[in-house]
Amino acid sequence: MTKLLEVKQLKKSFKEKEVLKGISFGVEQGEVLCFLGPNGAGKSTTINILTSSLQKDHGEIQYEGQPIEARLRSYKQQLGVVPQEIALYEQLSAERNVRFFASLYGLRGKQLSKAVEEALEFAGLVDRRKDKVKTFSGGMKRRLNIACAIAHSPKLVIMDEPTVGIDPQSRNHILDTIKQLRNKGMTVIYTTHYMEEVEAISSRIIIMDHGAIIAEGTKESLKESIQHEKSYYIEAENIQNLNEAALYHIEGVKSVQIEEGCIKIVTLRDVENLDRIITLLVDQQVRIVNIASKIASLETVFLKLTGRKLRD
Amino acid sequence: MYSFAQIFKMDLSNNSKNVVLIGLNTVFFILMVLIFGFLSEGVYADPMTSYNYYGVSLLVFTIFNGAMTATNSFMERDIKKPNLRIIHSPVGKSAIYFSKILASFIFNYVCHLLVVVLMMLTMNLNFGGHLFGYIMLLMLPLEFVSSALGVFFCCFFRTEEMASTLISNVLSIFALLGGIFFSLESMGPSLAWISKFSPMKWIMDACFTIIFDGSLSMLWPVFWLSIVASILLIYGCEKCFRTEDYLC
Repeated sequence: MTKLLEVKQLKKSFKEKEVLKGISFGVEQGEVLCFLGPNGAGKSTTINILTSSLQKDHGEIQYEGQPIEARLRSYKQQLGVVPQEIALYEQLSAERNVRFFASLYGLRGKQLSKAVEEALEFAGLVDRRKDKVKTFSGGMKRRLNIACAIAHSPKLVIMDEPTVGIDPQSRNHILDTIKQLRNKGMTVIYTTHYMEEVEAISSRIIIMDHGAIIAEGTKESLKESIQHEKSYYIEAENIQNLNEAALYHIEGVKSVQIEEGCIKIVTLRDVENLDRIITLLVDQQVRIVNIASKIASLETVFLKLTGRKLRD
Repeated sequence: MYSFAQIFKMDLSNNSKNVVLIGLNTVFFILMVLIFGFLSEGVYADPMTSYNYYGVSLLVFTIFNGAMTATNSFMERDIKKPNLRIIHSPVGKSAIYFSKILASFIFNYVCHLLVVVLMMLTMNLNFGGHLFGYIMLLMLPLEFVSSALGVFFCCFFRTEEMASTLISNVLSIFALLGGIFFSLESMGPSLAWISKFSPMKWIMDACFTIIFDGSLSMLWPVFWLSIVASILLIYGCEKCFRTEDYLC
């Protein structure tokens, strides 16, 4: 993959407060790069600088190998931005909104009509094209917000928390839309503080906190990086027969917890010991009902890296 | 140019659909002329009736009050958000504020001109008779300067609320000093001297000189001064306009 966008040592301060502390990252062509972080992590500031609506204090942003300042017009021409707020003319119809915003990118005539048609279809709003935006639900407005950003077929789409405050159905629609954009070859930069969204759409993740990048990688590699342990959840009957101390004699077992018909065993990740655990339980007349192995979630990753929950 | 034309059309359309702006620039103007004209009926001697006086003085006031149209189209809450999309587009930043100035200028000019013609036809007010064309001509740069003033205040003070409040206060002071609501010349030499510092006074004098004296001597100085002021305000917009003001 080729690098579409490259950011080096980006810094930004508001008065005394440093909100971006020299972050660097790259965006590969065709990937969905998700920025994950709590409110105030610096995600939106990064996005606003990338869309050039906010001036950076220091650093460099290169698009296709050239500084964006050197080719700002052509950079913006290839950029689609979905702002955090719904940026639409409420008094106008859905079609009129898409038509107007697409025309700002030089589209006109049949080309414009085709682009509007496709964008509305993409957003699932063809039936409501003539209706005024003020009559739309929050989810429909969010979808239209995206349609207005992609009508001109940008190469790079930047979405700043596009699913804030909407129903699950519309959220799923938006996430499907992003997958379709990726399949069409568009590159997407996406910010959110919803783990499940990142799990669903990301090719790569950047975790931000306090204006710095604290981790970067695919969701698998991020989980891998913190996972030195694994947990087994064993539902069982006759647990009273179990001699807990015996479990500690099995290589790798670090802790055993028993609560309400379930034995939670934390063990070192690299040690394959499940067969010995099962044998021991069977020997002690404990009847195993179910065994589950818990995989680390991004939430766990975030907790490990920052010491707090994402939505704290 | 095509993109600029689209933004301009959208701004003009937004202004034309705003009932408050239409009311402020038409109905409010007519009502003020009727009320002030009625309250001071008999105070003015022929050929200047009270209605004639307030028709002209309140036209000048309404033209400057048109700056509110510009602040509204530039940063009004519901318009500010979609304006953010324009900032993200490849349209240059000067096109953003200039289209607001141009759209407000045309909207205000049409509104005010319609009201003036209506008052001429229905109330028989004197706006210069055969010299009315010069009044129309003088209105052009004045309307433009007021629109540029509104946008400049938004660029400089960053918020519509702050810009509107300050414009409203400044215009009220100029209006009082300029004798828009009552002439200060009859209230002693000191107040008459102070009133000379109000631009509204100069413009009113220019209008009265055209309408009642048939002289164009003050037309061109006011006309060119307004153009110079417009250029300075546009330069100020270019210097002060920051796209990040739209982000909050």
